[in-house]
Order: sequence, then C-alpha cells, then structure tokens
Amino acid sequence: MRLIGLIASACSLVASIISVSFFNPTEHVLFDLGVQLVRFSMDSLGYIMVILTNAVFFLVFLSNYYNQIIGHRRFTALAFLMQFGLLGVFTVNTILGFYLFWELTLIPIFMILYWFGSFENSRVLMKFFLYTLFGSLAMLVSVIGLMQITHQQTYDALLAADLSTIGNAGIWLMGGFLLAFAVKIPLFPFHTWQAQTYTKAPIAGTMLLSAIMLKMALFGLLKWVLPIFDGIATDFWRWPIITLSLIGIIYGAVIAIRHQNLKTIFAYASLSHLGLITAGLMLQNSQTNEFAVVQIVNHSIVAIGLFMAAGIIEQRLKTTNINELGGIAKVAPRFAFWFAVLTFISLSVPFTSGFIGEFFLIKAIFDVHVFSGILACTTLVLGAIYMLRAYQAPMFGPTKNEKFLDLRWSEIAVFALLSLAAIYFGLAPKCITDFVAHSLIQTTH
Amino acid sequence: MDSIVILFISGLLGLFVGMRQQTLLSLIIALGGIILAALAAFFREAYHTPLANYSNYIPTPAYVIILLCFVTLLAILGGYKRYSQDKDHIGDYFSLILFSLCGAIMMVQPNDLMLFFIGLEILSIPIYVLVGIEKGSALSAEAAVKYFFTGSFASAILLFGIALLYGATGSFQLIEIQSNLAFGIWSSPLAIIGSLFILAGFVFKIGAVPFHFWGPDVYQGASNAVLMYMSTVVKIAGIYAIVNVFGQVFRDSYLFWIDLISIIIVLSMFYGYITAWKQNSFRRLIAYSSIANAGLMLLALANTQNSNIFLFVSAYSFATIPLIIINNVANSDDDDLKNWEGIAWKNPLIAIALVVALFSLAGIPPLAGFFGKFSLLWSALPQIPYTVILALIASLIGAFVYLKLLLLALKKPSVQVKQSIPLDQIIALLITTMASLVALYFI
Repeated sequence: MRLIGLIASACSLVASIISVSFFNPTEHVLFDLGVQLVRFSMDSLGYIMVILTNAVFFLVFLSNYYNQIIGHRRFTALAFLMQFGLLGVFTVNTILGFYLFWELTLIPIFMILYWFGSFENSRVLMKFFLYTLFGSLAMLVSVIGLMQITHQQTYDALLAADLSTIGNAGIWLMGGFLLAFAVKIPLFPFHTWQAQTYTKAPIAGTMLLSAIMLKMALFGLLKWVLPIFDGIATDFWRWPIITLSLIGIIYGAVIAIRHQNLKTIFAYASLSHLGLITAGLMLQNSQTNEFAVVQIVNHSIVAIGLFMAAGIIEQRLKTTNINELGGIAKVAPRFAFWFAVLTFISLSVPFTSGFIGEFFLIKAIFDVHVFSGILACTTLVLGAIYMLRAYQAPMFGPTKNEKFLDLRWSEIAVFALLSLAAIYFGLAPKCITDFVAHSLIQTTH
Repeated sequence: MDSIVILFISGLLGLFVGMRQQTLLSLIIALGGIILAALAAFFREAYHTPLANYSNYIPTPAYVIILLCFVTLLAILGGYKRYSQDKDHIGDYFSLILFSLCGAIMMVQPNDLMLFFIGLEILSIPIYVLVGIEKGSALSAEAAVKYFFTGSFASAILLFGIALLYGATGSFQLIEIQSNLAFGIWSSPLAIIGSLFILAGFVFKIGAVPFHFWGPDVYQGASNAVLMYMSTVVKIAGIYAIVNVFGQVFRDSYLFWIDLISIIIVLSMFYGYITAWKQNSFRRLIAYSSIANAGLMLLALANTQNSNIFLFVSAYSFATIPLIIINNVANSDDDDLKNWEGIAWKNPLIAIALVVALFSLAGIPPLAGFFGKFSLLWSALPQIPYTVILALIASLIGAFVYLKLLLLALKKPSVQVKQSIPLDQIIALLITTMASLVALYFI
C-alpha cells in the first residue's frame, strides 16, 4: 500500500515536470470539460503551484514512508482526493470553480486529521473546521455578489470587468474574500486554530496543511482578488491587511520564542513567515510579487523540513517538549546534521531560497513605508532566536535520550531533496521569477 | 392526471394483495405503480392546466412529479425491512403511502385553490394514520393525536383563508385570482387576511417557525420507515404549493409579504439549528434540522421570476433518507444518539453514505446540498441580501450540528462489530449517495 502511494505521487510529479518543459511561459492553456461553471486554464503561476503541489505530496509520502499512517488505505485515498482539489484550485479558470475546489480540499484534510490525529476531544478539530467554513461562507457571498454584479465568471472576463462603478460594494466583496484568506493563511486575529491543530494533527497532516493548503490563500490573493478588485477596494484594504501581517510577524515570533513545544514553535514561525509574504503581496508591485512566489516555494520547503524533523523526534521519543529533550546530536549525528541544514534554510542565510525572497520583500516594504520596513526586519532577528533555540535545546546539552534511531534512507532523501531545492532556488531565483513574470504582469497596477 | 390514476389503482391493488400477506408482491406492486406513475409524468412533459396558457406563469413541470415518485420509491425501499416485519399490515402501509403521494402530486400542480385544499387533505390524512400505526407504542399514539389535531386546525385556517380570498376576488381559479388581484384588490383587507391565513396553513405543512411545534414530537413518535416518507415528500409538496401560490398568484403584493417570509426564514433557521445542537434523540434532531431546512426552502420565494427550489429539495431528500436508514441500522426502532457511536465502522457503505449525506446537508461542495443552497442563495441575494447573510450564518451553526453527528459516528470503537444491511436498504443508500455525488452535472 505504501509503495502505491509513493509511486503514484512520483508519477504525477514527473508528469507535471515533463509537461512544464513543453510549456511556453507567455501562453495560456485552456481546458474545457463541458461543465459550464468549471473550466480550467494553466498559466505559468499555475504551473509553479501545480509542481509545488505534486512535489509536496511526493515528499509527504516519502518522508512518512516508515510511519504507520502510510499503511492505511484511507490515508492514501484521502491524500489523493486532496491533491485533486488543490490542483483544481490552482488551475481553475472560473470564480465559482475556485470556490468549489477550495471547499473540496476541506473534506479530506478534515478526515485525515480526525482519523489519524490525536484529538482527544474534538473541540480543536471543530474549531479548525468551523473557522475555515466561516471564512468560506463569507467568500461564497462575495463570489455570488461578484457574479451577479459583473455577469461574468471566467478569470479574463472578470479582469476586464469594470468594478469602479460599484463603489463601496467592491470593498465589501473583497472583504468577504479576505476573510476566507485571513483564516486560511492565517492572519493575526484569525490564527487561533492554527497552533492547536498543528500540534494535534498527524505529522503528514501538518505537512499538508502548512506546506500547501495555506498557499491556496496566497495564490487566491495573488491571482484572483488583487487583480480583480484593483482600485478603490485594494486601496482601502492595503494598509489594514499589512498592519495585521506586521502584527502577525512580531506576535508569531515572540510566541515562538516563549513556547516549549517544537510543533507549536514551528506553527508560530509559520505565522510569522506568512505574514511577511502577505504584506509583500498587498503592495501589488510586480517585482515583489515575483519574489513572493519564490518565498511561497521556500516556505513549503521549510515547512516540510521542520515539521518532518519534529515528527521524527515525536515518533521516536513520543514527545516534542524541548524541556524533555537533549543531547540528540551525540546519539544521532546524521539527524543533527540535516536538521541543522534545514534550520539554516529557515533562518534564510544567504545562498538559500529564503534569503533572496525575504530580502526583496523587506526591501519593498521599506520603499513604501520605512517604519513598517523596520518592523518587518525584526523577523530576521527574532527568527534567529527561536530557530536556534528550537535546534539547540533538543540537539545539545546533557543527554536525556539515550536511544534515538538515526535517519532512515527515505528521511535522508527528503532532507537532501529539500536542501538541494533550497540552495538551487537560492542561487538561481531567476528560474522562478522569470517563469512567472508573464502571468504576474496582470496582477499589478 | 395519469399519474394519480395509476397510483390510485396500484394502491387499491396493494390493499387486496396485502390481505393475502404477501410482502414481496406488495412491494413489487407499490414500486411498479410508482415507476409507472413517474413514466406517465415523463411522457406527458408538463401538465397543461388552464394556467399554462398564461404567459408569465410557469407550470409545474413533470420533473417535480418524477422527483416525488422517486423519493417515495426510496422511502419505501428504505423502510421495507420494517414494513415486512408486520405482515398483517403490509398492504395498508404501501397503499396509504401511495394514496398520500396522490395528494402530493395534486398539490404541486397549480390549478385552483379547492384542488390545493383537497390535495393537502389527501396528502395529510394517510400520514395521520401512518404515524399512529404502531399500536403498541404510547409515543406513536401521542404523535398521531397531536399531528391530527394541529393538522386539522391548520387545514381549517387554510380553508378560512381560501374563503376570504374567494370573498375578495370571486374565484377559486388561480389565474383569475391573480388577474383580479393585479387590479388593485390588494387594498382590500379580505385579500390581505386571506393570504396571511393561506400562508399560515402552508407554513404549518412544511413545519417552519412559528408553526413548527408539532414537528419534533411527531417525528419522534413515527417509526423510521414512515419518517423517511414524511420528512421528505410532505416538504416537497408543501414548498411547491407555497412557491406556486405566493411566487405566482400573489406576486403583485411581493413587497407586502416578503418581509414576513424573511422573518420566518431567519427564525426557522436559527431556531432549528440551535435547538438541534442539544438533542440526544436522532429523530428529534432530524425534526429540528428539517425545520431549519424548511426555512432555507422559503428563500425560493425571494425571486418570483426564477425559483430554483428543485435542486435543494432533491438534495435535502437524498441526504435525509440515508440518515434515517442508517438510524434504522444503528438502533432498529429505538431512537438514542448514543447508539450512533462508531456506527461508521460497522459497514463501509454506511460510512460512505453517512459522510456524503452529512456533508451534503452541511452544504460542502461538490455535493448536491451545496448546489441546492447555492442556487437558492444565487437568486435570493439581490432581493433580500441581509436575510441571505443571516441564513448563511445560521447554516454555519447547522454545519456544527451535522459535524457533531459525523464525529460521533466516525469515532473508532474499541471492539469492531461488522453488521450487514439488507439488499433493499443497500440499493436505497447507493442511489441516494450517487445522487448526492453527481449533482455537479445538473446545474
């Protein structure tokens, strides 16, 4: 069973890589399945997200190869259903289709979390589901409103539609979308589901949630909402959203510094990183958007790597509380090495993909507003504090855990692939930025 | 008309066969009658009543009658296990259901108000009997008496409303009433009070707030098999009657009653879902969920030109029937939600049907329930935006309720017991699940 999942996800990854090599980034490819409300198209941004999705699913199957969860038929089936939904979100060309696929991803992740997570009481899970559903319903109102007002539903027609005549209604419609995205990303006051869900979820579920599901919201913001509502509505929402993002950056980092549980630390770290990307996207500047895409890819790499490391510790020692951990580096040197590499990638040291992305995002914020730029910069310093603490406490110090099985081949393979990708995109970010540049031209002023 | 005749004849036939206590033969006759009735409706395309000539009037198309027949068929299949245990009365059950279906078909065809009333009575009286048919059970007797008294009361109010309207307009024919009202008879208090009374009668039938009190008690007292029929067909017939009378005949006074309808919608949805949250009896939970869904159905009145109710009522029926079948499996005639714990692990088909049905009721795409809700909201949003937003918030609470039930059913038990389901229920579960899944192609 586990081999089937791995091979199938590898096949989809290889197929998407082959198809991208025949793809001319200046083009749109359209598919029509005959269903009126759901049509598909691919542009270069869509391709990046599709490859990212397929890669994430492959890595999730590979990294959990020796975990029990992969042995369940239910998990494999739900994971592929979720992959289907995600690919739909990234390639669909109608606004209603976007909503349909967006919601479709919720059912499988909910079942994965429920069946394989350690949710002693279902409260946390309900919170996750209902938060998301609440945001989605707001988005549904906006989708219906947008379709009623413009009488259009495809992406290109909506871009061409003139929304300046509807005035304040545009602000409300965009607010509905932003609420859904703010829950999913998550932005500062809507984040309370995140840490609890990540901590209780099975490690594969956490990887899927943080590495690819949250990217749906950023993708929606970048491709759909900002270009369509360009004008009064984006001007209205720009600074509120950026403020929330900045609060999230600092708040997430501060909580991460104080927390004792590795998974919670990484969850808040994720809140902090995604705040920076959101703030950058709201500036609507084409170069910033390109580097935001680089940062989206980078965050997926970091999320898989870090949560995998936390999962390895949890699976072998049954705890992720850093007070109970120590001296693992002596017992498991290979794990210590690869965990260190991933820590540095997430610290965005130069020559990794995180550096180039964060640098340009912070620079863009600086250009617009200096004080906000300074606040955004703190992510680098605070990030160093919590990441080094999260690395140092379990790895060094007095040995509290004598028995620790060192890495297996599949885990080394995942770490190596992630590091290679991070360094490659760090040295040559142009391969992403140039590729997506064409489809991002529409998204700016 | 053909459908009604066919149903009536097969109902009579069923009574005679029932005397010889042949369960399978009774089932075949009932199913055959329903299928023939649906075919008759299909080949007739639409019923050409006098109203069909009227330019702006939308006659009830044949597919509504086909839906009614189809849902009844599923309800009979799902309840067959229960009916066949009672060999003495097997013919009575099926015949009563078929007679009641005749009334439902009469109700959904727009013609004149007397026909509505007769249809309503033909629909209701067999159900009063069916609810009370469990002679040993005190709950069942209580439910039957309650339903009968409140139901007759509502019928009387409806009749009174029809009489007042007759006084104002001088006709029972819907088309004449409509044209008379268009001349401005609306200022007449007779017409206003008459239409309010008619509204009260219909709202009672679909069980929306403030005429919902009979719902939970009656649903709890009825057996699972009867409930399958009662909670779906009566609602479909009732909502089509409301849409035909209010959305068409009274459409000139739209601004007068739409506020009232909005209040009914919001109250029903909030009351239904919030009360459903704390129930620990399954049939009461279904009753409150159906109150809330009745509120949602009323959203179809918001847009008189285009009332997209069909998808929603079919999605609601295809989600409610499997739930009641599963309740039948979980606790055969008992009614406690405790027995639902871990039910999904007893049989894979139950698990799939349950997940699809509950997510469909909660309105998660790509299942039928979402498209039903979507088409309702789509046409209602420009007319009554605030009601729609409140309805969405209420349906979030509804998602809570269904999710709670789902989590209960999916909880892994310490000891797994496999349970097999009889063939007729397997067929009903499969059909409803498939219907909920393929809804995407019908929009």
